[in-house]
Amino acid sequence: MTAADAAFSRSLGINPMKYCSRCVVPGMSAVPLTFDDKGVCSGCRVSDTKATIDWDKRGRLLRELVDEYRTSSNYDIVIPVSGGKDSYYQTHVATKELGLKALLVTYHGNNYLPEGEYNLQRMREVFDADHIIVRPSVEALKKMNRLGFRIQGDMNWHAHCGIFSAPIQVALRYKVPLIMWGEHGFLDLGGMYSLNDFVEFTAKHRLEHLLRGYDWYDFTDEGLEKLGRPEAKEGLTAKDLLWAKYPSDEEIDSIGVRGIYLGNFVNWDGNSNAELVAAKYDWKASEVPFERTYRLASNLDDMHENGIHDYLKFVKFGYGRATDHSCKDIRSGRMTRDEGIAMVRKYDHVKPRRDLERWLTYVDMSEEEFDRVCDTFRDPRVWRIEDGYWVKDNVWGEPSQYGKAHVA
Amino acid sequence: MLKPRLIPVLLLQNGHLVRSELFNIHQIIGNPVHEAERFNHWGVDELIYLDISRSDEYDLRRDDQKVRHLNTITRIQEAVSRTCFIPLTWGGRIRTLDDMASAFAHGADKVAVNSQALRTPELIAQASIRFGKQAIVVSIDVLRHGDGRWEVFIDCGRTPTGRDPVDWAIEAERLGAGEILLQSINRDGTGDGYDLDLIRAVAGAVRIPLIACSGVGRYEDYADGLRSGAAAVAAANIWHFKEMADRGGKRALVRAGFNVRI
Ligand SMILES: [Zn+2]
Repeated sequence: MTAADAAFSRSLGINPMKYCSRCVVPGMSAVPLTFDDKGVCSGCRVSDTKATIDWDKRGRLLRELVDEYRTSSNYDIVIPVSGGKDSYYQTHVATKELGLKALLVTYHGNNYLPEGEYNLQRMREVFDADHIIVRPSVEALKKMNRLGFRIQGDMNWHAHCGIFSAPIQVALRYKVPLIMWGEHGFLDLGGMYSLNDFVEFTAKHRLEHLLRGYDWYDFTDEGLEKLGRPEAKEGLTAKDLLWAKYPSDEEIDSIGVRGIYLGNFVNWDGNSNAELVAAKYDWKASEVPFERTYRLASNLDDMHENGIHDYLKFVKFGYGRATDHSCKDIRSGRMTRDEGIAMVRKYDHVKPRRDLERWLTYVDMSEEEFDRVCDTFRDPRVWRIEDGYWVKDNVWGEPSQYGKAHVA
Repeated sequence: MLKPRLIPVLLLQNGHLVRSELFNIHQIIGNPVHEAERFNHWGVDELIYLDISRSDEYDLRRDDQKVRHLNTITRIQEAVSRTCFIPLTWGGRIRTLDDMASAFAHGADKVAVNSQALRTPELIAQASIRFGKQAIVVSIDVLRHGDGRWEVFIDCGRTPTGRDPVDWAIEAERLGAGEILLQSINRDGTGDGYDLDLIRAVAGAVRIPLIACSGVGRYEDYADGLRSGAAAVAAANIWHFKEMADRGGKRALVRAGFNVRI
């Protein structure tokens, strides 16, 4: 969209900088949401329905569902895990409450925090489950970091791809039809579906939303040629990205692989999950505070997830993880809207120095290039340039200036 | 005997596909082409695409995705027809013969007309002569009132018309409609199953094919629609919920004893 298109769309009434009247999510969010006539977002509305659901009945439905998949000689279920609080909770439910033999599958993107790595390795000690960790070559990962950043404005694109491809590959290889994910991220944060829809994982959701339309083949030299981005080539071929391939419909249908979300069957709350698994399994939160959010228990599987990756969201859409975390905490009653706004104010704009320096060294890039590429991803619905500085409107009312513009 | 058809309905609202509930709650599902692309992979029987936007603004809201710049209806129509080679019915915001001609020029095989058909019924007669009866679908949205009485609503369920759906369907057939698409506002997005009484009443009153829609919550609901007289069974939301929704639906129809194209 050009700036003129954006102005046109604003004049017609689409207001990207409208905020939910209950939480702090902006209209122009990475997770698409809608507002009702009271100005309440679909995420809040769907969250409200949690109080009306008979969760005991949902628990029985889950048990009936998994009963059809119990086997005598194979794994009963595949659980994609990062080693985080939610992974522990999923595995707790599957192994301890439902008594399933689980095969845990992890995509390891080479950037775990020490606490995250400790939690990950500990899973096979505290749970009676086997664990496959898929670790792509570091060389390929560095190339994918640079490509993700330059093509998609997200250096962690590889992680989204690995997390949502490797477990399905493993399920097929071991012929385990049932996969259990945690919460449906887009449903939980943006209210994309109703909790009565019992949405399951689909190839379409992976490609369109989790990977934003790009797939592994777009990042090979051949793919970049087709995208019209030959200058970005890193020499990657299909053989470097085997971990990123999603199986065909026919392969999936032959085993009947389906991915259910635990969030449709239990009253999901990330904070409660963290408390439960810390108490039961000695799961560890981060010991060092993050630069861009107040929560210590999220995203320990990738140091950049709460850092550079999240800063890029601010660059594109003008908000970050402190907004996401505040929305969740406001909806679950752990925070007031004013407290949430204070968190947004404190964290959303922070350029994470510690994290940025590590990443620039990791991928061998200058900060000057980083800033320049960042600015090509600024969304004109959110950002405007005034006197050579980026300016946007804020949830607390008045606009602010956020750093020098590196484009004309 | 024609095989019964199973048809996905995509709802477009200001640039995004949406999940709909009771015609007034809408949640964003995704961009206008991606799901159509999946339907094309699966080789579904046909696709109904309805534009339920309240204004002419179409915005995907983010530009960092592979699919972008779909900010006019014709760009969206072109992108859909480039992506999807299955028979396509385009509906919503069709008010004139020119609107229809434009939809046909941008890849539609049929057009569905709703509000304007009630406002100016002669439009259906003219369209039927100009484009052929087989290309004209009249779409009827019905609200069941508390006392059980049915009433046809237009403008995406916002304006009552005082018309009875059976009378209106008979008139639409007489005007030259080739098919009826029947939706229930009360069942929309509930997953409670079709309004079978409504399907029976309308299907029993016309000879042209009836496409039943609204309320499917389980693949087993499709068979009930066919048993009640529908020639084709359609649904919107459920196509977004599970992997390979075509096979799931068709296998349920086969289990119920119907001969469908798999
Ligand atoms: Zn909200």
